[in-house]
Amino acid sequence: MAHDSHDSHEYIPEIAVDRNGKEHVVQGWQGDFDGAKLGFWLFMLTEVLMFGAMFMTLSYYFTLHHADFIKASSELDRMLGGVNTVVLLISALTMGLGLLKMRSGDVKGAKLMIWATMLLALIFLGVKAVEWTNDFKEGIFLGLPSMQAGGGKSFGELLFFGMYFTMTGLHGFHIIIGIGLMLWLLKRINSGKVSPEHHILHFNIALYWDLVHLIWVFVFPYFYMTGAGAIHG
Amino acid sequence: MANHTTVDYKAEKGRYYKVLFGLLALTALTFIQPSTFMADNTFGIQLLIGAVKAWIILMYYMHLKGETLIGWTVVFAVFITAFFFGIVMIDVNHFQFADVSHITSPAQ
Repeated sequence: MAHDSHDSHEYIPEIAVDRNGKEHVVQGWQGDFDGAKLGFWLFMLTEVLMFGAMFMTLSYYFTLHHADFIKASSELDRMLGGVNTVVLLISALTMGLGLLKMRSGDVKGAKLMIWATMLLALIFLGVKAVEWTNDFKEGIFLGLPSMQAGGGKSFGELLFFGMYFTMTGLHGFHIIIGIGLMLWLLKRINSGKVSPEHHILHFNIALYWDLVHLIWVFVFPYFYMTGAGAIHG
Repeated sequence: MANHTTVDYKAEKGRYYKVLFGLLALTALTFIQPSTFMADNTFGIQLLIGAVKAWIILMYYMHLKGETLIGWTVVFAVFITAFFFGIVMIDVNHFQFADVSHITSPAQ
């Protein structure tokens, strides 16, 4: 039977009674750490499969249009891409340290680290916006006449930039979702629903952020570095 | 629930920083590789460095080290992806429709 909640901030366990009249605490998602973690991992694997299919497509096209891809890659701003790589790397550290602080009971420190992670996420998006603006000025953006068939770029280059905007855009969308999740996490920490004793939500959002970082670990070399050797492959 | 074990804050914090410096070193390697070594196979080397970075992130930031069930689930998903990746690569190396396909030449 379920107990009514008198205080939305207070965690009141649900009690189930077995056939012998013995009471058992029903495990909610907040109390089932391993189940919640496994469930989130299964969700993340669907993300891996989605991005994996995109990387496969990219590799397929790369094999078919080797020289065009290398030429197109050399036109991207490696410095801005590199800055974003480091920003994301540091954000993974702040997120991890935030979780560590939460687990060790330092809730205020954990919140500070989440804010730091959000700030770094915004910097990432800002750098990406600058990069895309520069691309646009150079005639590299979806929908521009120069990006249409017969607009001066080879078919392989068009495929490359199509994949580039699709994958970095989808990755950026995941960054925005991550910021939203962190805001939600802060709200739940402030209301006491996430605490050092019940921190599975914090754990899973940290996992999500690591996944976003992990995807970038492959996005960066695929798009920015394959053309670094210019004529090398 | 969650706090299955007591937290050794200092040791875990130290591990986080060690991993950060390792990842930063690999990122630096990513940048200097095309101009310093194996420049004729940049794509392969870059992906290899990326795979090492991914392994470190999975093991230490995503806490997969010691996770048997989730670890094997990840291995399975990666295997499925790699399996189809292999099939695609074999297929692309024996592509027979280059003259008529829209993925090898623009639509007329």
